[in-house]
Amino acid sequence: MRRCLECAKKEPGRPCVDCKYFIQQGPLRRVLSPPVRVLLEDEHGKQYPAHILVFNTTGFGLETEAPVPGRYVIRLQESLWVEVAGVPFRGKNNVRLFDIICVHRRQGTASRLNSDEYQLLAGSAGELVQEITRHLPEHLQDLVREKLLAEVEKSELINALRVGKVMKYEGGRFRYLSGQADLDLPMEEAEKLMRQATRQAEHRREVIISADGQKVFDLHGVPFDYRSGGLLAFDITEVIEKERRMHRQEMQAYRDAIAAVTGGRLYLANGKEMEKVVSEGAELAKGEVRQTHDLPEARRAIREALPALDSRKRHAIALCLSEALTNTLKHAGGGCWQARQSGDAVRIIVRDRGPGIKTSELARATLMQHYSTKNSMGCGFTLMLYYADYLYLNTAPSGTALALDFGIGPADRLKQYQ
Amino acid sequence: MLLLKVDVYVARGVCRVVLNGELDMETIAQLQEVVGKVGEHTLEVDLSGVSFVDSTGLKSLLDINNDWRQKGGRMLILRPQPDVAEVMQLVGLDRLLAQNTAPAGEER
Repeated sequence: MRRCLECAKKEPGRPCVDCKYFIQQGPLRRVLSPPVRVLLEDEHGKQYPAHILVFNTTGFGLETEAPVPGRYVIRLQESLWVEVAGVPFRGKNNVRLFDIICVHRRQGTASRLNSDEYQLLAGSAGELVQEITRHLPEHLQDLVREKLLAEVEKSELINALRVGKVMKYEGGRFRYLSGQADLDLPMEEAEKLMRQATRQAEHRREVIISADGQKVFDLHGVPFDYRSGGLLAFDITEVIEKERRMHRQEMQAYRDAIAAVTGGRLYLANGKEMEKVVSEGAELAKGEVRQTHDLPEARRAIREALPALDSRKRHAIALCLSEALTNTLKHAGGGCWQARQSGDAVRIIVRDRGPGIKTSELARATLMQHYSTKNSMGCGFTLMLYYADYLYLNTAPSGTALALDFGIGPADRLKQYQ
Repeated sequence: MLLLKVDVYVARGVCRVVLNGELDMETIAQLQEVVGKVGEHTLEVDLSGVSFVDSTGLKSLLDINNDWRQKGGRMLILRPQPDVAEVMQLVGLDRLLAQNTAPAGEER
């Protein structure tokens, strides 16, 4: 401690950042170049600008006018702030050591930075944000940095951000700033994004697939003023592929489970399979449902289209059609239906353009008798499972298709030819 | 065309609601509106004239029953047609059926 006082007298020009007496040496000690600008806020709300010159997981070396000793809060992000206390006699001039007393996160508190938070400051995301904001007018830096960090934090792809490219956009031209120089970006799209971002003066984000369909980029456009801004680009091809693979595996697991509990009668079809299912056979009737009074109309139409069936079967088919259409009204604002005959089966098809059933809710939505996300009894699917012989379900964020097969017994067929 | 006709008969503290038509998402509001005005202790819902009830219709019957029980009253469902009775049984609502219900067409 006395060393710092002596050093201040004897070697006032020697920087503290590299001094082993100032902040503990070790693998987690990081010198930030350029320093990260932050604000220290004391308990009365008074703010002091500061630069983080060097840090590790338990302390910051700050250049600041803030009085030492003293306790301050540093907001690193919306949901991440750090309580620090200045250490007397450590450092000199305006460079002081601040111990981390407490790290507050959305999920709780801790006495040191965790690896993600450390990475945020030391790693690529923090560097990228620094790079971009360094070229900004001073009064905009904090604002943009805060927004950007919040964006980065929101993006669940934070772990994929290691690979990226940062460019500056100005009046239609791009200049490479940092990151992965050989990242081959779709520049036309990038320029469109930057034009939108600068014109509307707001952060724009777009996920773009390269022209050859081989790469997926996550592009962020951050406006500086009306004609310039920063472009952050991340290659997320691998992340997407990983997610797809996981989704496929998940779907297969659900498919197997649902097939098992329904004795193979409910089949989760993929898009291609569903296209086949909905086009087999010949059309008997069709219609559309937009409002509740279209429901009785649809039932009347389907009963009329199946005059030869016995009344119990006709009731069952009308009931299932009604249940499926009610679902489209409740979850998708309506849908369209079709009845087709293929061989020994009448097939009812109901499709909507709603948000789809989430994979995580699929099993409950289809199999549990009283499950419903929209406050109905939730037994509609139970009834369909009871009355239909086979059910094909395809659901995606772009819509849901359900096909129900009703076998026509020999007696029904005889009637048809009468 | 009226899809559901709702008639109300009150006698000796019993309210009987006689439905004719179809009970689904389109028509449940009519039933709920009428039942909302009933003050009698016992509510009987006569389904003999109802040719179709789906899960939304059954859910509304179940809600009315829960409502009535909460108020300390009693609700009974009378004389469903066979197709409707089967659906009620499938979802476990047959417990709301009046015991020893008189067959359709015969008045008490």
